[in-house]
Amino acid sequence: MERNKPMKSMIKMVLIVGAAMTVLVTLSLPAMAFERRGNEKILVVASRQKVPMMDPSIKYDASIRTLQQAMYDGLLKYVGNPPEFVPWLAESWDVSDDKRTYTFNLVKGAKFHNGDPVTAEAVRWSYARTLKLGKGPSWMLDAFLKAENIKAVDENTVVMTLDRPFAPFLSFLPWWFVMNPQQVMANEVDGDMGQKWLIDNEAGGGPFSLRRVEPGNLYELERFKGYWRGFKGKLGGVIFKVIRESSAQRAALIKGEADIVTSLSPDEFDIVSKLDGMITSTEPALTTFGLKFNTKAEYVSDLNVRKAISYAYDYDAFIKIFNGRAKLQTSPFSDAIKGKINIAGMPTLDLAKAKEYLAKSPWPDGGFEIEYVYVQGFDVERQMGLVLIDALKPLNISVNMVPLTWSSMVGRGSTVETSPQLMAIFATPVSTDPDAVAIQYHPSSWGRYYGSHYYDNEEVAALIEKARFLSSWEERKPIYEEIQRRLVEDQPEIFGMMRKRMIVYRDWVKGYEYSPVRMTEEVDFYPLYIE
Amino acid sequence: MLYFTLRRGLLMVLMLIGLLAITFSISHIAPGDPAALAAGPDATLEMIERIRTEYGLDKPLPVQFLIYLKGILAGDWGKSIHTTRLVWDDLVTYFPATFELVVFSILFSVALGVPLGVIAAVKQNSMLDHAIRTVTVAGVAIPMFWLGLMLQLFFGLQLAWFPLGGQIEMMTERPEPITHLLLLDSLLRGEFSTFTEGLYHIILPAVTLSFPALASIVRVNRAEMLETLKQDYITNALAQGISRLRVVAMYALRNAMLPTLAMIGLRFGWMLGGTILVESVFNWPGLGLYAVEAAIDSDFEPIMGATIVLGLFFMVTNFVIDILYGLLDPRVRAQT
Repeated sequence: MERNKPMKSMIKMVLIVGAAMTVLVTLSLPAMAFERRGNEKILVVASRQKVPMMDPSIKYDASIRTLQQAMYDGLLKYVGNPPEFVPWLAESWDVSDDKRTYTFNLVKGAKFHNGDPVTAEAVRWSYARTLKLGKGPSWMLDAFLKAENIKAVDENTVVMTLDRPFAPFLSFLPWWFVMNPQQVMANEVDGDMGQKWLIDNEAGGGPFSLRRVEPGNLYELERFKGYWRGFKGKLGGVIFKVIRESSAQRAALIKGEADIVTSLSPDEFDIVSKLDGMITSTEPALTTFGLKFNTKAEYVSDLNVRKAISYAYDYDAFIKIFNGRAKLQTSPFSDAIKGKINIAGMPTLDLAKAKEYLAKSPWPDGGFEIEYVYVQGFDVERQMGLVLIDALKPLNISVNMVPLTWSSMVGRGSTVETSPQLMAIFATPVSTDPDAVAIQYHPSSWGRYYGSHYYDNEEVAALIEKARFLSSWEERKPIYEEIQRRLVEDQPEIFGMMRKRMIVYRDWVKGYEYSPVRMTEEVDFYPLYIE
Repeated sequence: MLYFTLRRGLLMVLMLIGLLAITFSISHIAPGDPAALAAGPDATLEMIERIRTEYGLDKPLPVQFLIYLKGILAGDWGKSIHTTRLVWDDLVTYFPATFELVVFSILFSVALGVPLGVIAAVKQNSMLDHAIRTVTVAGVAIPMFWLGLMLQLFFGLQLAWFPLGGQIEMMTERPEPITHLLLLDSLLRGEFSTFTEGLYHIILPAVTLSFPALASIVRVNRAEMLETLKQDYITNALAQGISRLRVVAMYALRNAMLPTLAMIGLRFGWMLGGTILVESVFNWPGLGLYAVEAAIDSDFEPIMGATIVLGLFFMVTNFVIDILYGLLDPRVRAQT
């Protein structure tokens, strides 16, 4: 007993010192606030998605585009909800009567970050570079626009002549960014048109310039003081920080180490949204989620089987899985797509109808198995698979759930033979033009992840082709309505829901503007400021 | 000893070639289309084919392997299909962060694990022994990911004693690289505030990573010490009036350290390969995270690059341990 006395008093002392330190440290915590560099306020945006590179001609995804549109300008820009493209570097444009020639008049006084003027030649060169390299956004225009048909007629006028009229043309231009040719070519290596240099550098004239890159980790931008449009509020710069774990993002937001977080899980979002000083934004996006059938695969090549499965699915689950932050699709097109109409007869849970359809198929009693492929580790898609298992039990159809990496899923979907019977797909069209969605159901999309349905309807394909080359919206509108109806009739997928974007930010962040055209986790820094 | 060293060295080279062949085969045979993934979701088939040709993915697998080996021998580690960055540049960026974290973790494990093992053995069946054993069982049982999150939430968020993650504060710019090791570079550049910041940031991830190793070291060391303390020569030394502390530290511990040393070597290698969870939780820009992200993207050359570095490091560590083993135990030298 005697020997234990010193030990006990030591433990007691450690506990007292520990408790005192806890109180002291907690009391001496700095006030949680935004970062500063000197007197400038710095906004910190946390995202789960790394930025593989920043070259506007080579690649785009949510994180890349977030940085690209902060550092570069396009001729047009998407803003608002519903989204619309507005004049940006091009202050106005004219279209010829044959709808093939577009003349863009550039704003005067726009400069690149190094002080060079933004000229028509820079626009021409940037478009030509993207077309020549044949990567990234080149697919949007390369079938209709040749580099030699882009002319800089004077310092501020660019003329683009399309091979044939292409209705969605303008809707793609916000994603074609203008680079400084002198700066890029000064860093060219072995004729690469500056590709190596532009991985971690920029040559733009957008609202922010690049200050610092820590690849895969952190990107610091600073306000471009000579930006031609000026700024709403004062913001010194932005740090785009990659924080991969949802719980770590939540902790960073609460501690004030991040001002905006873009990718909390639904549960984390619920927790944070109840805290003081947090502002949440939950708006439906352009992104749709559906379970794509391979319409050429065994069993599901039969329309009645596809209908039966679609009527057996519990659509409420789509909403519940996102804690209510989703909206069911009422058409194959999402709400923000131009020309979207509500289609009567979109399947809802109706078991009697499901059995009726199955009875018309060669397998009236079911007794077969279908494969459901989803992204490994993506719990939302796993839950949807579990719902599918329950939903198809009454039809005596079993489901084999196969989790794969995204890369493997893309590989599986790339051929009709390997594409699974059902694949969970989130698809985000790059423009609000209905062609951006309709084309996903055209044979030219087969093999792409959203074309894993191998949907083959010559009449629908002809309608899609016809509509994209008509110039009058009045003529296009009824065609797209017909396309929406036909897609629902043919059921190449279980049309699911539009997941709402879930963004949380601290109440000192002002100017946040939502636009459904942005991808999950994509943020436009330009209107933001700190107060 | 020279023969022993040469034999181990040769074995290491053979193992590395085997590792390369296996990793190359597995990563290339696994389903997935890296070209399609790199080209982007909307890419046309022509765009995908262009990338496939650019990266030589259209060639037969054995040809691809030979081209890769030829490149490696010429110092060309290839480039990432996803980011187009040179793999060597990436390794130089990411490996030092992992190396620093692992070195700190292993130092922490050894500095705490060996004395705790000795104390537990010397005080066998005391309250202290039971307490140490309980902690070590927890160390083996608790998932590292969960432990990291808990430490982060409690010490990082709740008490705010430590940063939530990262190697240094966001606003601090990294020192101009010399060795690419942040702590060392900040010391060499005389940026002592950055060094302090770096130390402050490494504590939670290092503790998290070291916990399983600490537990293993304590357990092995305790067991070996117990065995050694029962030996006749220990009884003899004590009977001759040599102090207990001297007997334990000089005679017993030296002999008990052999299996512990092997354990440290293995743990060092495991830590290098197993940092991914800690790097993910603490946002540590290291090689583990890099390798996993490359695997998810089916990005072959970064996978190969990371495998070579991690594999080589594992082998070198164990090679050094083997040599040390030989130096500590003359019987090992005699056998070889």
